[in-house]
Parts: sequence; structure tokens; C-alpha cells
Amino acid sequence: MNQAPIPQAGDLAPDCVLPNGTRLLDLRGRPVILAFASDTWDPTLAHQSALFARLSADFGSAGAAFVDIASDEWQALDCRGALAERFGVAGQRALILLDEHGVVRWRTVVAPGQELRSGQVLAALEALNPATAPAAGPEAVAFQLSRRTFVTATLAAAALLLLPGCGSSESDQDSADEQAAATASDTVAVALTINGQAHRLTLDPRVALLDALRENLHLTGTKKGCDHGQCGACTVHLDGQSALACLTLAVMAQGKEITTIEGLAKGEELHPLQAAFLMHDAFQCGYCTPGQLMAATALLQDKTMDTGSGVEIREAMSGNLCRCAAYPNIIAAIQDVQRA
Amino acid sequence: MHPFQYQRADTADQAVATVTKTATATFIAGGTSHVDLMKEGVHRPSVLVDVSGLPLKQITQHEGGLRIGANVSNSAAAISADVRQRYTAVSEALLAGASVQIRNMASMAGNPLQRTRCPYFRDLTQACNKREPGSGCAALGGYNHVHALFGASDACVATHPSDLAVALSALDARVQTLGPRGPRAIAFPELHRLPGDTPHLDTVLEHGELITSLDLPPFTGRSHYLKVRERASYAYALVSCAVALEMDGPKIRRVRVALGGVAHKPWRLPKAEAMLAGQLPSEKLFRAAATAAFADAKPLEHNAYKIPMGRNLLVRALLETSGLQALQGPAGTAFAASVGGVAGQLAVPR
Ligand SMILES: Cc1cc2nc3c(=O)[nH]c(=O)nc-3n(C[C@H](O)[C@H](O)[C@H](O)COP(=O)(O)OP(=O)(O)OC[C@H]3O[C@@H](n4cnc5c(N)ncnc54)[C@H](O)[C@@H]3O)c2cc1C
Ligand code: SF4
Ligand code: FES
Ligand code: FES
Repeated sequence: MNQAPIPQAGDLAPDCVLPNGTRLLDLRGRPVILAFASDTWDPTLAHQSALFARLSADFGSAGAAFVDIASDEWQALDCRGALAERFGVAGQRALILLDEHGVVRWRTVVAPGQELRSGQVLAALEALNPATAPAAGPEAVAFQLSRRTFVTATLAAAALLLLPGCGSSESDQDSADEQAAATASDTVAVALTINGQAHRLTLDPRVALLDALRENLHLTGTKKGCDHGQCGACTVHLDGQSALACLTLAVMAQGKEITTIEGLAKGEELHPLQAAFLMHDAFQCGYCTPGQLMAATALLQDKTMDTGSGVEIREAMSGNLCRCAAYPNIIAAIQDVQRA
Repeated sequence: MHPFQYQRADTADQAVATVTKTATATFIAGGTSHVDLMKEGVHRPSVLVDVSGLPLKQITQHEGGLRIGANVSNSAAAISADVRQRYTAVSEALLAGASVQIRNMASMAGNPLQRTRCPYFRDLTQACNKREPGSGCAALGGYNHVHALFGASDACVATHPSDLAVALSALDARVQTLGPRGPRAIAFPELHRLPGDTPHLDTVLEHGELITSLDLPPFTGRSHYLKVRERASYAYALVSCAVALEMDGPKIRRVRVALGGVAHKPWRLPKAEAMLAGQLPSEKLFRAAATAAFADAKPLEHNAYKIPMGRNLLVRALLETSGLQALQGPAGTAFAASVGGVAGQLAVPR
């Protein structure tokens, strides 16, 4: 079989079709960054996708195409895929920079089990910098980059540092079926009924309901506090009962009636408890408030719950923490609605 | 989070077969323990078999006792009139645990299978034999204030965090399972293991063995659960105690006692149980039993406080169960099960 050589710095990159259907050839005229992330790349970590969103906006303004990202959903190129194979970075975390002419200008590969050191990246950038790179000699020619490509490279380096480790010592020991599952980390079709409305999403099964609500459906009323079941900020109703969206996988919430804070008011008319919260000044910063409201409305609906006294309400509401300690006013608001 | 394939099981047989064939496959029910640990990178299943849709959601009368399906929620079990009246300790343990939201999500099978709250177990940068066999135990020389007094080993000093498990142990519940080799029943006190040199194994369940129900045997006595924690509510037990008491006229016919928060499993007290049988209940008797129960406790650097706390808790639980002392709140509620805190205010006139 005729094995194509692995493109090195200075080589023209082979044309390939990217997962989003774009051909590399079509991106000529602007720098391109190919980022290969490991299978531990985690779309459920909102801060990662948020950072990538920002970086890609920066790439955009630098005129670069950041092609590991498929349309509106962030997806890194699979380091075990065919493209990784073609660029000689299979199973590794890597960043490859192509200039405006499709020539590979820079490749950084992080071997399995290794961590990328920022010094490595800085050294590479130093060598690439048009302002500091040596002006003469054959080496220099290869490194004559436009300012634009350099800026792109800098941003890309920052992105690379964020990519989670690939082929770390643990995953080296992964069994064959674990690897099979990892490569097959397929997205799944997820049908959710939220506030009476049907939504169809395509999600990584790792995505928690909380992130699906906030990141995919932009229903940001439901808050993320701890992300580990410890604060109640993410409380929603599943089939009328309070539940934590951060510990519910979205794929497991299918077939349930999901109610979020956005579904509490009837149009402009507030839910009586929302009105009571306003009346009683039952919040300060308001961050815990959607969760408090969802927990308390479920409580008020629950005929089996004995909530006669303030003490009983406090016990039943203990899953909702409030940094601002608005507790007395929250209890007063709930009691108000209870009496009405 | 490690990537996984998600599969929803339609039948118990299918769930067992799917998990059995892949070494790194696991069940998931309410997800409140599993998803948390998957987010931490502590659990890394490659296949996740969702058993929450299996029709194991009934509480039924069974051989003079109760059969609680694996998928009954912690909330539903706690407020069932049968459970509350006949197995009061179970309702009390459930309602004194976690929060309303978590109890709504959590399943009866998942609860006793939750993992330890040893902080080093959840911290990937620390040595932990339970998470990574052979890596060592950071808690041994670390801040081991929530760790074990009984039955620990050099490999692991963790405690089991479930409140429910303590009540089920005292009531001698039976765990019905369906495994790769068919169905079997496990006496609840035999479900969890001591750490020994295999602390990564919490229970005797085989890979792919599914809990189908928890069976409570006939019981006509009184049972009670009492829990001490660092805050009034929504916290794990530092020490807890479940008592199942059967009287014969004025005398104790049989009493079964299990402690929580002191060992790798609910810690039954056979010595104390034997001392109490056939006796007239009294505070003096209970103190003697409690002293005997803690005689062989082996404290670590930071958890010796659990010895007097546990002794006093045991005495109080026995006094309250036998009626020598009033409960702090209505039987079968979180208030009866709590020591002090918010619940303590119920005792104060409203
Ligand atoms: C903030 C917080 C506070 C908490 N406080 C308390 C507390 O005070 N007291 C207390 O007792 N608990 C407490 N919990 C723990 C909670 O009770 C458990 O997480 C819950 O009961 C687990 O049930 P689940 O259905 O969600 O289990 P899952 O998370 O779905 O599963 C747990 C384990 O059981 C296995 N499993 C599930 N179903 C089956 C089955 N049918 N057969 C075999 N294996 C199965 C899974 O593979 C997994 O390993 C707390 C949890 C949180 C997040
Ligand atoms: S006590 Fe057990 S769970 Fe905790 S660090 Fe040691 S081995 Fe791990
Ligand atoms: S974000 Fe879900 S409980 Fe804190
Ligand atoms: S109002 Fe600020 S956290 Fe509750």
C-alpha cells in the first residue's frame, strides 16, 4: 500500500474533507488550525466550551478558521480518527497550524502520558514570531510568517493548553471495549419535553440536563452552583417532583415532563410564590432563587409533605443553599402562599 | 467525563446480560451517586445501562413482610404507610438523608450501593486503594475524622455513608438479585464487605448482578434511627444508629442494633445485642451495652471523638426505642431521626 508521507513543517498539507464537510483546500487564503483533542475532551464542561467559543471568536477576528469545531456544536477532532492518522498524530493531542497557502507552519504533538509544558509552546511561538525570528538564512525562510498567522498561532497555543490530556497513563490501560466505546462516543438523539414544549436535540450522552438546558436550549434560568448535587441551584421539576438537573443525564430525562423556572409564570402573570418572593424580599443576589422557587413550588404541590410549620419547611428546603442567607424571608414567602 | 455508550434496558434479563458482557459496563438508576463520581472521573464506565425504566417500582406485601422494588424512589419508600408504621427506622433513615430533590431521584437499590464519602477517594491526585488498587491510602496518615472505628484494614479506613443501609442491616432485610448465574437472595448484613486487602470491592455483588428488590421480613416490634451530623440537615452521618426492638412483656425479647459512620459497612453489635436480650430495659443496662459495644473500637488520629459520641447515641437510641425517653419528633420523620439542629426546635413549643 502506498502510505502518504506525514506532512511536516514546511510541507504542503494534503487536501482532506473535515468532519463538517469543508475541504481544507476551500480554506486557502486564511490560516487554519487543526486541533486534535483526546477522547477525554468533555463537552459537558461548560467552562471549556465557553473558552473555546471565545477563542474561536478571536480566531475569527484574526481571520483564521478553527476547523476542529463543527458548526454550532463544539466538537474537537477525534485523535483516534482517520484525519489524525493522516497527519501522523493518531492517539495524541496535537495542534497543527497551516498558513494562508496551506503549508504546515507548526505542529505540536503531545505524546501519550505527557503533559504539554507551556515553555514548549512559548519556545515555538518565539521561533514563529515575525518580529523576533532570525531574518536571514535558509531556516528563516521557512519561518517567514505573516503577522496574521502568528497571531492565530498564539491564540491556538492558548487553546492547546486547554485541551485535556490525550492517552494519559490511565487511558493507556483502557481495555479494548473501553476504547471501542471511546471512539464510538456517539451523540444520541434526545427528545425532551420542557415546559410543555417538545425539543429534539443531538447530544453527547454525557451532557447533564442542566447543561442541555443552559448551553443547548439557552434556558439559562436554571442555575449551576456546585454541579455536584450539593446546593439545589439547578432544581427543576421532573413529572412534578423536584429534582437536580446537574445530576440528571439529559438522555435519562426523556419521557418526563420537565418544568424549569421559565415555565413557572403564566405569561406575564407570576406564580403566586414568585410574587410572594418579591413581597418578602426573599433574595439578595438572586442566584439561588430559581432553585428555591422550583423546590418550594414542588413542596406546595406535594400533598404527602407535612409542611405545617416553619421548622418543617426548613427541613424540606434544606437542599437549597443560599449564600446570601435569605432563609427567613424565603420561609415567610412560602408560608404566605401556603396560608392563601 | 469518560465517554460511554448509553443503553436503556427494557427487561432485567437484558440489563444483566448487557452489563455482564463488558467488564467496564455499569448500571445506573437515579444517578445521584454515579453521575457525581463520573463527573469527578472516579467512575469511568464505558457502557451505561439505564435500569430506571425497569418495572421494579412497587411496594408489595410479601411473606408477611414487605417487598420494596429496586426502583422505588427513596421519597416514595419513606412515605409509604406500610414502611412508616412497620419499619419506622427505614422511613427515618431515608428522611434524615440527603435532600428532597435527591430522595426523589434516588432509588432504593442505588442507595446502599453509593460509594464512600472519604474525601481522598474523590480526589484523583491522592492515593486511594479503593479508587486505584495498590496506590495506597491517603486517609491513613491524613485528616481521617470521618473514618472508621471498626473493621478497617491498612489498605482502607473508609466508612459506608448510606443511612438506609444501617436501618436495613438492623432489620435483617434480604437483597433479591438477578445475576449472570440467575437469581439469589443475600442477607443484608452480608451485602457489604470489610475492606481487607480488596477495598475496591464494596459489596459481594458480582459484576452484572442486578438488585431487583429489598425484602423486609415480618417484624412487629419498634424500630428507630438516630443520626448525628455536622449540620442540622442535608449532611451525612458522623455516627448513626438503627435499633429494631422486640419486647416480651416488660422484658426485651430480642434487639438488633447497627451503627453507621463507623465502618466499611453497617456495623452490627452482636455483643451488645446478646447482653440486652431477656433484660428489663433501663438506662444503666443500655450504658453497659454501649460501653461493651465500643470496647474494641480502634480510633485513628482524628476520629476518636466518635467513641463517646457513638456510645451516647446508642444509649439514646435504645432509650427512645424502648419508650424510656420521648422521641424528638413524630416517629417516622426526619425530626425523630435527628439529634438537635432544626429538628430540635420541634421539641420547643411553636
Ligand atoms: C449532596 C448529596 C447528599 C447526600 N446525602 C446523603 C445522606 O445524608 N445519606 C444518605 O444515605 N445518602 C446521601 N446521599 C446519597 C444518595 O442517597 C445516593 O446517591 C442515592 O441513594 C443513590 O441512588 P441512585 O438511584 O441515585 O443510584 P445511582 O447513582 O444510579 O447508582 C449508584 C450505584 O448503584 C448501582 N446500581 C443502581 N441500581 C442498581 C441495581 N438495581 N442493581 C445493582 N446496582 C445498581 C450503580 O451502578 C451505581 O454503582 C447524598 C447524595 C448527594 C449528592
Ligand atoms: S480510606 Fe479507603 S477510600 Fe479513603 S483514601 Fe484510604 S483507601 Fe481510599
Ligand atoms: S448545581 Fe445542581 S445541586 Fe448545585
Ligand atoms: S439570594 Fe444570593 S444565594 Fe440566595
